[in-house]
Amino acid sequence: MTSASSRSILTHSIPEHEEAFSPSFDIYEAYQRALTNPEVRVSPYPSSFLSDSLHKISAPLAAILSLTELITQSDAGTMFELVKALNDGAEALKKRVHNPIGLNAGSELFIAFVTLFPHESASFSELKTELVRQGQIYATEALLFRPKIAELALGFIKDDSIILTHSYSRVVMQTLLHAHKRKRISVYVTEARPRGLGIKTCEALTAAGIPCTVVLDSAVAYVMDKVDFILVGSEAVVESGGLINAVGSNQMAIIAKAANKPFYALAESYKFHRLFPLSQDDLPTHNPGILSFSQPQHHLTPELVARPSVSSTSRPALKTSINSSSTPNTLLPASSVQRTMTDEQISRNPDVDYTRPDLISLVFSDVGILTPEGVSQYLVGMFAG
Amino acid sequence: MAPELYNPASQRLVEALAAKLRRRQVLGSRETALETALVLRQVVSKARFTNIHQLVEIIRDVGRKLVEAQPKEHTVGNTVRKLLHHVREEYNNASKGTVASSSNVFSISKFVLQGQPRKQVTTQKTESALVLREDDPDDPDSFARTLKPVLMEAIQVILDELETVYENIARSAKDHIHSDEIILTVGKSHTVETYLISAAHYHNFTVIVAESGPTYGGHDMARSLSAAGISTFLVPDSSIYALMSRVNKVILGAHAVLANGGMYAITGSLLAATAGRAHSTPVVVCAGQFKLTPLWNLYHEYGALDFADPSSVLGFEDGDLVDTVDVVNPYYDYVRPDLVDVYVTNDGDHPPPSIYRLIKESYDDEDNEL
Repeated sequence: MTSASSRSILTHSIPEHEEAFSPSFDIYEAYQRALTNPEVRVSPYPSSFLSDSLHKISAPLAAILSLTELITQSDAGTMFELVKALNDGAEALKKRVHNPIGLNAGSELFIAFVTLFPHESASFSELKTELVRQGQIYATEALLFRPKIAELALGFIKDDSIILTHSYSRVVMQTLLHAHKRKRISVYVTEARPRGLGIKTCEALTAAGIPCTVVLDSAVAYVMDKVDFILVGSEAVVESGGLINAVGSNQMAIIAKAANKPFYALAESYKFHRLFPLSQDDLPTHNPGILSFSQPQHHLTPELVARPSVSSTSRPALKTSINSSSTPNTLLPASSVQRTMTDEQISRNPDVDYTRPDLISLVFSDVGILTPEGVSQYLVGMFAG
Repeated sequence: MAPELYNPASQRLVEALAAKLRRRQVLGSRETALETALVLRQVVSKARFTNIHQLVEIIRDVGRKLVEAQPKEHTVGNTVRKLLHHVREEYNNASKGTVASSSNVFSISKFVLQGQPRKQVTTQKTESALVLREDDPDDPDSFARTLKPVLMEAIQVILDELETVYENIARSAKDHIHSDEIILTVGKSHTVETYLISAAHYHNFTVIVAESGPTYGGHDMARSLSAAGISTFLVPDSSIYALMSRVNKVILGAHAVLANGGMYAITGSLLAATAGRAHSTPVVVCAGQFKLTPLWNLYHEYGALDFADPSSVLGFEDGDLVDTVDVVNPYYDYVRPDLVDVYVTNDGDHPPPSIYRLIKESYDDEDNEL
């Protein structure tokens, strides 16, 4: 069964025909391919520096495209089998990706769409073709969402504004560059450790001529008085109207609320996710290792460790990890101390956090400017009875 | 937009209204809305158009002229938007059978915007007995002829709503105000006046009216309320906070309700709402639905929407003072959505977070910028 799609998605040949979800179809590989698919790029900006990052499509859209590929490869004969195959595929994809939140949002949207699609087609394969086509159309349309959001946000960015942003977000970048064409803005961006993506933002903005400074994550409260408003991107916007974004966003929102500054989130509509976290632990990326304490080690010589900070998981590896780890509390001579967190310590820290809806002023999306409460209306419309 | 579709008599009408708006000869949200609706009725009845786009263009053009003449009277634009929404709705109803179903293909973006597809066609309220023929070369007026009665009805609906707005809002008054309550209000608002007088038929309560300088509209309000038999106190604006601990409810009027649930209201309203929030007193705003505006408060964060004559604050007689002092007389305040508890409208009560949904239902997105 070859793909009936006319877009440039590579076709797989299916060796097995028994199951609806053929295991030789690697959905993760399809996902990776979709992420870097050159056909789906749109270049509003000629600058080559920006072209790479701005033009990669985002995770939810790549998920939708990989699911459409799954449909083309699938052997399902009924809607029930197809939906089951899609769910299995989405599950498989989730396991392979470290941070599956954006992916989840995209796959849930597509699977809900498939389930509710009115079947007027004569045959099932026609229906499948139609579904694949719809998925691809949406992915192409979705590329116009970011310019739309940039235009909506433009009215809220006043001349001579000082904006604070967090880490690196493509939609925020596009909004700032768009605003820079008409208004004077200056940007503070947090470093966003440990990935340090804030530095990438700063470089891109400076290259475009926008005055930009990187701010320590711990200096957000210090800088809050100077700032006019905060603009962040999002990994997902959840049903409560809250925001899931790189760790540090929640902190920024709380400080913004305390300083009475508006906190705006930019999110394309495919990031609306049907999740209702009640606390930070409810996020799908949460694992018990996060913020866990390590057991104090009694083997260690006193001068090496002032405070236990080495993992107790594997005893034999202890000695080597002590040698390679460098803790801030170690009493080794200053010249050989490098004061950065080890990878192991970083792994105990979260990647994303959840910001409550009452801390968010407005969510800018391609469906319009929404209050956080407004987001739930769309989610209910899509997913509830 | 071809000139023959938009005849000179209609143009003169529109220009006359635009001039009146510019010179502030017609003031107040309801009056401007009524005048706009009447002008639109004239324009539409005399207009000639052969397809829906021309009709929409004509109406938008009128709307644009009027809004430019007076951008601070938001109800002008709202009436035009409402009419456009009705026009599109009637057109879609009438042309359901005739138009090819290509636009009805269910796409993912439609799914996001509209939610789950409904199995049956829901809008059966008006039987689509209309057969619309657009751009018919033999009979160019057929489209206009078939659609005009429907449009006149739509405009009549708008006019009826405007005329009955006070009674409809006041219908819930007896449920919101109870006996022996103390209500605080600011300045003069016809809507609030009708609301309180209607409640007075059922309960005995007291009203404290803040006089709202420098226009002192509160004086008129106090006079009409006491004439209706309500026990009224007239107080200066400075005592609003001091009295708030004794007040059970704050009832305010609005000039325009914005898309985020905030509102523009006469000065003194922000003071009353903030004092109410500090004392956890419910703040109720009475506003007709024609005041719902799909706009955001982008430019008036700290300043007011409009300014009145500064000489009522500091007269020109104080010559030497006038040279050295900047006198500002803001007419409206912007009240944030979190300071308001509920909007009582002619179509029910709504909390500020759901105002945006009302706006989405009453207007079409493409009309937000006329």
